[in-house]
Amino acid sequence: MSDITGGFVAMMARVWHRFALPADDAEPLAGMLAPMDDAGELVAEALRFDMEPSDFDRALEELAPPADET
Amino acid sequence: MSDQLATFDLCGLADKIGAGEVSAEDATAATIARAEKLQPTLNAFIRLEADTALAAARRIDQRIAQGEDVGPLAGVPLAHKDMFYRAGMPTSCGSKIRADFVPDTTSTALARLANAGAIDLGGLNMSEFAVGPIGNNVHYGDCHNPWNPEHAPGGSSSGSGATVAARIVYGALGSDTGGSIRIPSAMSGVVGFKPTQNRVSRYGLMPLSFSFDTSGPLTRTVRDAARILDVIAGHDPKDPTSSRRPVPGNEAACGKAVKGVRIGVPTSYFYDDLDTEVAAALDAAQRVFAEQGAELLPVEVPSHDEINLIWAVALAAEAATIHRKWLRERPDDYGPMVRRRIEFGLYQPATRYLEAQTLREKYLREYCAAAFAVCDVLLTPTMPVTAPRLDEVDVSAGKGMTELVMKVSRNTRPISYLGLPALSVPCGFNKAGLPIALQLIGRPFAEAQLCTVGHAYQQATDWHTRVPALAQN
Repeated sequence: MSDITGGFVAMMARVWHRFALPADDAEPLAGMLAPMDDAGELVAEALRFDMEPSDFDRALEELAPPADET
Repeated sequence: MSDQLATFDLCGLADKIGAGEVSAEDATAATIARAEKLQPTLNAFIRLEADTALAAARRIDQRIAQGEDVGPLAGVPLAHKDMFYRAGMPTSCGSKIRADFVPDTTSTALARLANAGAIDLGGLNMSEFAVGPIGNNVHYGDCHNPWNPEHAPGGSSSGSGATVAARIVYGALGSDTGGSIRIPSAMSGVVGFKPTQNRVSRYGLMPLSFSFDTSGPLTRTVRDAARILDVIAGHDPKDPTSSRRPVPGNEAACGKAVKGVRIGVPTSYFYDDLDTEVAAALDAAQRVFAEQGAELLPVEVPSHDEINLIWAVALAAEAATIHRKWLRERPDDYGPMVRRRIEFGLYQPATRYLEAQTLREKYLREYCAAAFAVCDVLLTPTMPVTAPRLDEVDVSAGKGMTELVMKVSRNTRPISYLGLPALSVPCGFNKAGLPIALQLIGRPFAEAQLCTVGHAYQQATDWHTRVPALAQN
């Protein structure tokens, strides 16, 4: 389970992004981030060594129906 | 005559203007009159450029009088989400921060529409920076649903859906990053077409997430949307990411037989937790397709839970990169919900963002193998619910508001991650008179097939011909 908290988010804003997070934002952001963090951990196991983002564009072209079907 | 002009659809009006039977100036003047009349109720326009539009319409009429073919959108009044840049004209992006922004370039999509003879009436209301599926806006005021102004019009292309539904303009461009064309189309009872990722140039379009942003039309009919898509789609040297694949005739595909087309009905996710009236409307839509000879098949699609979460990671990281400077320097100039949704991207590790991007290919191949090996098109509800009341989705509405917002976009978000084309078509109304819509999802670049199926549905039904009471003369 993710350990992301409002305090952690506020510190990240201050240290990494060099601004003070509006007071009301830290806890809601932590609540949004935690499930994403867990999902990210889960799906990352599917990564293979030689994959890269541009593979998606090639897949779009390859998976299109043949021209005579459109 | 001016009252009758509103009854034409886009193709019908363009053909009459092109043939010299109706003047572009008359059509534009009537459109401006409708826009001004309904603005106090709908708040659909951020900027209405009446004089500029009338001058452009007169030029179209002069060219037609000289025997010139001015294009497939001859003299048709359109208006667009206020995030398509036009050189020298303000483009607010629905924001306070860009309220005075005047671009020095024109978006390729707008330039292509103008070259096809269309008239541009101005910038339409939208969710701030295209963030949010509801269509509310703290800076310019909420846009309202023409079927019931107490209800949300859907976002983020709120004004695009509302103006087309209210029979003000004949079509509008919107942008879709997770549902922002399809959701307002569904809530406002019009057609909305999100093409395949990279099918339409993004040059001159305000960025939210360069990986998912897609622009497309909102119109009264599928054929109207097809005609606009035929104009705006195709490679653009100014957007190197735009596909070089030829654009087949989408309008020509309208009218092809749907007999034998395999329509897949997902057995999981899309039909979960539907409003009963939405479920009934989708059942009825399936019967319409079956009566036309389509083959309806149950299809098991992969889980969408992971897709939805990593879509959000990638979108937020890209949006936060674009907005980081303003988040630091002008945080109070954002609406609070929009600021939070963008800030969220500041806390994604670079590795997580790239994981979400890298896995897109894997999920797309798995999805197509599962779904499109057994069917040609998927049929789903565009939304599991109808348009919520605006006060249900206000920031002050609390936790339930967040859940409702997520529910509204649950059937559109995963398709944006996968980059697939999707067409939203009106398919009924609930007892309160609010629209219900179906979503047709196709293989990459199979927009023409979606046009065939969507047009066939509209030929057999009359949902798209119904007009909100406030738009009736």
